[in-house]
Amino acid sequence: MTVTSSQQRGGGYLSRPAPSGLADVIEIILDKGIVIDAYVRVSLIGIEILTIDARIVIASVDTYLRFAEATNRLDLYEKGGKDLPEMIEGITESGASGKTSGALKGVKKAISGGSSDDDDDARPAKKSASRSRRSQGS
Amino acid sequence: MTDRARIDEPGGERGTYVYGIVRTDRARLPEGLVGLDGTQVRLVEHQRVAAAVGDIALDRPPGRRADLVAYTKVLDTLAEAGPVVPVRFGSVVPDDDVVVTDLLAPRVDRFDELLSSLEGQAQFNLRASYHEAGILQEVVAENREIAELRERTRERDPDSVRPQLVRLGELVAQAIEGKRDHDAVFILDQVRPLVAAEVIRAGKGVEQVFDASFLVEDDRRAEFEELLESLAEGVHERMGLQLTGPLPPYDFVGSDAWD
Repeated sequence: MTVTSSQQRGGGYLSRPAPSGLADVIEIILDKGIVIDAYVRVSLIGIEILTIDARIVIASVDTYLRFAEATNRLDLYEKGGKDLPEMIEGITESGASGKTSGALKGVKKAISGGSSDDDDDARPAKKSASRSRRSQGS
Repeated sequence: MTDRARIDEPGGERGTYVYGIVRTDRARLPEGLVGLDGTQVRLVEHQRVAAAVGDIALDRPPGRRADLVAYTKVLDTLAEAGPVVPVRFGSVVPDDDVVVTDLLAPRVDRFDELLSSLEGQAQFNLRASYHEAGILQEVVAENREIAELRERTRERDPDSVRPQLVRLGELVAQAIEGKRDHDAVFILDQVRPLVAAEVIRAGKGVEQVFDASFLVEDDRRAEFEELLESLAEGVHERMGLQLTGPLPPYDFVGSDAWD
């Protein structure tokens, strides 16, 4: 183990956010849970917008340019740039507004064409796709 | 119903919002539990299973952050009383009868079985992230080609060295990927013996090493948390570990299998 610190044990190195802030829960809960058959449900409220925007897919060249840019500005570095959660919060606020307000309509009609099938495509860098397994205990 | 924007407008069409599935014998709703739009949460029971539901106006503006927060609070509360199967955020059906006929009745056994298997367990999410400046410094120090490309491009107009920048970024991405795999294995190997199930997602962007969900038995929780405390201390100069939970088992109810 690479124990490099001589500071106090259990000294709060593990960050334990209260899971009430939206930025912390949004990735955890969106697209999770069982799905009610599409022909039964009225809709999934606004979920398409939230989901798509929260997982912005960046083309690989742009990703590389971002990596390069980050590398090249190393010296100017000041820590504190936590941009992702802020970004998600911003998106969420705007995702809530007008765009989906037509979504709750006809009873027994699924509005959300494909909301549950293609989420996986939106995940960047999904090389070891979500794999689930039971572990064989200790 | 001419004016469609107002919530709870009398006469507006109402539907049933579904939060999650619980076992009838274990279901206890605290007095005054409310969900979306502050409407009361109630149970629709069918034999051994019950759905926690609430009323909702069908013409309300959808998907606000307050809705997401209200949903998680209801599920957290349900999880305190016993096992719960979360239903995907935003699920609305026409009425309570449909909850029974289309959701519960066809799947009593499956729900019952799933709920039993989740008994005494909770989900935790663990996210490991590099400190960005640190990991980039490592990469520059360890890879000569990266260091050289960096020297050649950093003071230049990005447009004039774009191909080199793309190459630099590609090399940095590859270098971080290699570290990420190694560091993820180092942490996950130690956590695995303490968890009942796991879902691992690969890290995204420059900093993230991985993002994982674990199902942890209640009587191993203390040990699990202690292990992560000490792991976090061990790796803190390069990485931050963030643990969220206990949570309802969002990742362990087999979302799409139910569609």
